[in-house]
Amino acid sequence: MTPSQGRRCWPLVLLLLVAGARAEEYSFDVSKYEKKPFELNGYAELKAEHFALNRDGAFYKLNYFGEPQRESLDRATETLELAGKLRQGIATFDFRAHADASQDPLADARDSRIYEAAFSLRPKPGVTVEAGKRALSWGKGYAFNPIGFVQRAKDPNDPQLAREGYVLADGDFIWNPGGALQTVAFTPVLVPTTNDLNSDFGASGHANAAFKFYALYRDTDLDFAWQAKGSRPARYGFDFARNLKTNLEIHGEWARILQFAKPVTDPSGRVTVETGDATSYLLGLRYLSQGNTTYIAEVYHNGTGYSEEVADSFYQLVDAAFAQPQPNPLLQRALTLGRGSYARPFAGENYLYFRAQHPDAFGIVYFTPAVFAMLNLDDRSFQVTPELQYTGFNNFELRLRLYLLHGGSSTDFGEKANSRKLEFYARYYF
Amino acid sequence: MRPVFLLLSLLLLAFPAFALDGQQILQKVDRNLEPESYESYRKLIDIQPDGSRKEYVLWTAKKGRDKVVALFLSPPADKGRVTLRLGENMWLYMPSVGKPIRITSLQSVTGSVFNNADILRIDYTAEYNVEKAEEAGDQYVLDLKAKTGEVAYDRLRMWVDKRHLLPVKIECYAASAMLLKTLHFSDIKDFGGGIKRPAQLETDSPLYRGYKSVMLWSGLKKASFRDEVFTLNYLPRVEELRK
Repeated sequence: MTPSQGRRCWPLVLLLLVAGARAEEYSFDVSKYEKKPFELNGYAELKAEHFALNRDGAFYKLNYFGEPQRESLDRATETLELAGKLRQGIATFDFRAHADASQDPLADARDSRIYEAAFSLRPKPGVTVEAGKRALSWGKGYAFNPIGFVQRAKDPNDPQLAREGYVLADGDFIWNPGGALQTVAFTPVLVPTTNDLNSDFGASGHANAAFKFYALYRDTDLDFAWQAKGSRPARYGFDFARNLKTNLEIHGEWARILQFAKPVTDPSGRVTVETGDATSYLLGLRYLSQGNTTYIAEVYHNGTGYSEEVADSFYQLVDAAFAQPQPNPLLQRALTLGRGSYARPFAGENYLYFRAQHPDAFGIVYFTPAVFAMLNLDDRSFQVTPELQYTGFNNFELRLRLYLLHGGSSTDFGEKANSRKLEFYARYYF
Repeated sequence: MRPVFLLLSLLLLAFPAFALDGQQILQKVDRNLEPESYESYRKLIDIQPDGSRKEYVLWTAKKGRDKVVALFLSPPADKGRVTLRLGENMWLYMPSVGKPIRITSLQSVTGSVFNNADILRIDYTAEYNVEKAEEAGDQYVLDLKAKTGEVAYDRLRMWVDKRHLLPVKIECYAASAMLLKTLHFSDIKDFGGGIKRPAQLETDSPLYRGYKSVMLWSGLKKASFRDEVFTLNYLPRVEELRK
């Protein structure tokens, strides 16, 4: 090749180099994603929490009774969650296991649980039957689910966390009638209870039949759910969800529990059980603004919750118990109630949940600042939680949160055990 | 006079045959891009201004004009997520949550320049009418208008390669006439089974200056699925459909 021929070849060489670089840039080897008969994945997480304790709060007094009194508490938690799936023909076995260990100045704690482990058969696409431990998730609400009859309550602070299921048998039968009624599905469930099985579901010795009927009718999701009287009182309800526009969704739930028994105390510690039908409902919106901020708002009425007046009686009981020389009979009653239904995270009657999140903020891709708030609409106490999340490192998620609780004496958030909490976690997915 | 009149009459009769039928062109574009029912693998690549990138791999099944389901195979944080589209209805299923939630077309489950409507694209003819069609050299230019207000982009301007009847470039506009993004198709590849189409789509947006998202196709082939597959109750089991 002469020098002039070489010079003439340069553009071709450059073109080939550029073409090669581009091909390399966007390579896609699909063989790496072939379906495997057995799959295992999950995450490992390290979490650090700093609690600023609320020494005047009723739940601080109850939770830290007998412990050295303190202004703050630091806790470290390590979590491992594994999920696996084994397939053979029409049969599948899947599981989700959770283990965590936490250390703080008061205690070292370890916990490991099988969240789910179920065997399912799918003879055809529209039919599935399964048995084992399964975490069902009924309802359209983001933070609360009044029709979640056969599931553990979700944590509104982390509604997307996996939860432990119940041992049950269920089926799933799907039809597509066509026309306005696009889909119909029927999900029957049995949740048996014995002294050793599903003991926290309710009284033992019941089969606990339930079902959910789903329909997609004219672009609206509709569910009707029912649970027979058994370990728990009978209950029924419905939900709906629909996209009103390309950036606006609306959803709602309504549920009634028949003859719900609620223990109620007066300031002297005299406990009575109020029995009656309890109705809970929720209305929510999800809106995406032109600036790419997502807003979620839900108004929730908890028919099994305590009114401001009834909750105040409990707080008065706690104050009276700790004002007297200890131990005293009032204190024992307060401690018992403080571990029961009064201690539920959202034990009030009316709440407003609000969340706003903005992905790729300040020009940083995978950086999502968010803020969410929960307001007790009766006593006006609230919790506001700013959050920063970054998922830009492959397979890593980093999240920082600051929980700020505000409320006066005898209010929902004013009587919590802590007034602030700073939380950071690093989670690695594999 | 009579021959001239005859010739003019013939010309007038023949005129509709020569006029561009944009709707027919769009129908052919739909079928040339994908069979009506198919399965395929796609890789979505988000490229940031500093050159760093994040990749997602999805398996997709489509039936008819407006039923699509997509299963995330990678990255591990998103593995097992499933998105379903029935017409203008969309849902996201996350295994940890255990239930589908409604999502809207303008959101993005990947957080990239591609929104949900791009990732779960259905036939153009299912969503758009052709308002105007014209020729520009070796391309057709189609102006499309959304059939309803629920469609992600109010208007599209599509440049179609005359020889292959495949899109080369699509500009996507909001109802306010603001340009939201531009899609660039390239790398026409023979997938077998008579499917020859672009294997690469790049998009850029004035709303995300400096960012770029790329979609690559592989393993695109005709496939048939039962209607029950495209339902909320089936989403936890979509993985079972993959061969």
